[in-house]
Amino acid sequence: MNKTISIKNNIEFVPEIEEFLNPDYVYYPYNRGDKLLAKVGDNLYKEQPLLEQNGEIIYSSISGTLIGTTGSMLLKNEEVNCLVIENNYKETVKNKKGAVKYINEYTKRTLLSTLRKFSSFEKLINIDSKILIINGIDKDPYEKTYSSIINNNCTKILETIDAISSILEIENAIFVANNHDNNNVINLTNHIGTYPNIRLKLLTDLYPNGFKELVVNNVLTKKQQNDGYMYFTVEDIYNIYTILKRVKPVTEKLITISGNCIEKSKVVSVKIGSNISEIINNCCEFIEEEYNVVTNGLIAGDSLTNINQILTNDIRSIFLNTIDSEKSRKCINCGLCNSKCPVNLNPKYLLEHKKADHSKCINCGLCTYICPAKINFKPHLGGKNE
Amino acid sequence: MNSNVYVRSKTSIRSISLTRIIFLLPLIIYGFYKNGIYLYIHNYVSVINMFRPLYLIIIGAAIGGLVNIIYEKIIKKNKDSLVDILFSSFHIEYGIILGSLVSINTNIIIFTFATLIIFFISKLFKNHINIISLTFIVIYIFSIFESNYIFSNVYELSKSFHLNLFDYLIGRGPGGVASTHIILLGIALTGLYISNNNKFEITLDSCLTYGILSVIYSVATNSSILEGLFLYNYIYIFSFVATDMVTSCYTNRGKNCFGILVGVLTFAFRLLNPILAPFIAVSITSLFNNFIDRKVNKMERHD
Repeated sequence: MNKTISIKNNIEFVPEIEEFLNPDYVYYPYNRGDKLLAKVGDNLYKEQPLLEQNGEIIYSSISGTLIGTTGSMLLKNEEVNCLVIENNYKETVKNKKGAVKYINEYTKRTLLSTLRKFSSFEKLINIDSKILIINGIDKDPYEKTYSSIINNNCTKILETIDAISSILEIENAIFVANNHDNNNVINLTNHIGTYPNIRLKLLTDLYPNGFKELVVNNVLTKKQQNDGYMYFTVEDIYNIYTILKRVKPVTEKLITISGNCIEKSKVVSVKIGSNISEIINNCCEFIEEEYNVVTNGLIAGDSLTNINQILTNDIRSIFLNTIDSEKSRKCINCGLCNSKCPVNLNPKYLLEHKKADHSKCINCGLCTYICPAKINFKPHLGGKNE
Repeated sequence: MNSNVYVRSKTSIRSISLTRIIFLLPLIIYGFYKNGIYLYIHNYVSVINMFRPLYLIIIGAAIGGLVNIIYEKIIKKNKDSLVDILFSSFHIEYGIILGSLVSINTNIIIFTFATLIIFFISKLFKNHINIISLTFIVIYIFSIFESNYIFSNVYELSKSFHLNLFDYLIGRGPGGVASTHIILLGIALTGLYISNNNKFEITLDSCLTYGILSVIYSVATNSSILEGLFLYNYIYIFSFVATDMVTSCYTNRGKNCFGILVGVLTFAFRLLNPILAPFIAVSITSLFNNFIDRKVNKMERHD
């Protein structure tokens, strides 16, 4: 039986990417033990190192004044202490030069050191692997973030993949895309011929084909998986391009804003560290007053208890949606959850046996989506996220 | 993090139930022709009795709906819409299947009361046993007190037939009101398999298991292979009764075990009572569906 399902959505997106790059404040979680690289009251320029967190440097995404710390913001629904920068709306940068002409001129050493300086991507690089997988499929069928990144940066992404492949001596780079994403498929097939070591692999438009586990299983044999591979999303690759080309950190990102409570669905470019409530208030025209805010997908996503949350790099989408109010009934034993689970788990058994091993669950939410008795498995499975 | 649900598939108890009922319609129409229209045309029954097959099926469906309304509206004070309440469980489908399964000669009063009481008890006690089988067994037991329970209609009783394979395929074999047409049954099963609304493995495994045992038995005893294979409602029961969502297994291996067990028990009980055999087999197996699933799940985890 097919382990994936077709989910039709009729959401129409605004064709152009919108921008919200002037938030009043940006916030950065600040834990005890983090090394502060600026003082309260300092005027910061954009992309200035702000703090060192677990060996990684965090950069300011706006120019403005570091006004102190606050405990009123939330990160994944939990209160966190964070640094607050008040925007001066000047986007002042310290060093305007620095762009590299060709990113394939990097050596292995300079590539790794540049990535280490500006991001955590170095950790994802396995210099021994000979296969590179790039996932261009949006994880949630209602998202359009990855699709927009490919649509607007196709040649840059292919150039980056080619550069990484030649620098790290990767034999096989596989670009995985959704076969129903027509514009991107045409765009990619038009350009991919220039890069003979990049292969395009199209997966059918089924959920949850955008999840790492399914992408890898669809593309690689078990032996290839055991031999080792590198996995990046198109967002990672575009961010790597930005770092290598501009020799600067990434301070902006694209997110999908959609849902049945707003008039127009769109993809918006925002500053990392923005307040989600500020993004919502500035980017959305509401058609429903009562709404719930959900991040990272309507099927597998999580709802926010309070919208004063920090927009972090791992947020791909924000949905303003009503909750499905259909009452759950007693399990009817149909077995759909079991037969459709993409990682061959038995959600009904896991629901009934709290001590059973839940670790294989990829949190795709397919069991909850498909259940005819409308049972919500999600809170009880609690698997890992990518 | 909060894990509410924002989007759902359109699959629901109502959609599953309605799909299964839709695929039963060709069989019901054939049953109406065989046990109603044909008998009326050949002057075996009156106009009113021509509709007898439909009476049984409609009464079955009406009782299923009524039980859901009484239980949900009166006992549970559920404020959902009437349609949601009617399809809050599979009882309408159970009623239709039961109406298709019983003999055309079944006493309507016995059918009505037995169905109403057992359906209602099943709602109160959260059915753990296959309700269709249990109700049929009760109807059969009460019916044999009244007269000999035979599946043939008045036309079939008036003549003697030597049925060949084609006759069985087009529904001329003995059986319930609307359960004998093997070709239409095959079409219904294909439709349900494609629309993912049937536990196909149970049907396949029970048919294969019973079929193999039956052929071996027929060869050994020198009896008719066809008669053994297409006995009464067996294939229909393996397709629509044994596969009841609620009381059958749901894991892949569990469904295989369930089907094989139904096939074996049907063959074993056939030697005692050929009419009741599949119903007893399904009833007994349905009692152990959770046990089978649990055991199979443990085995799968050890693999």
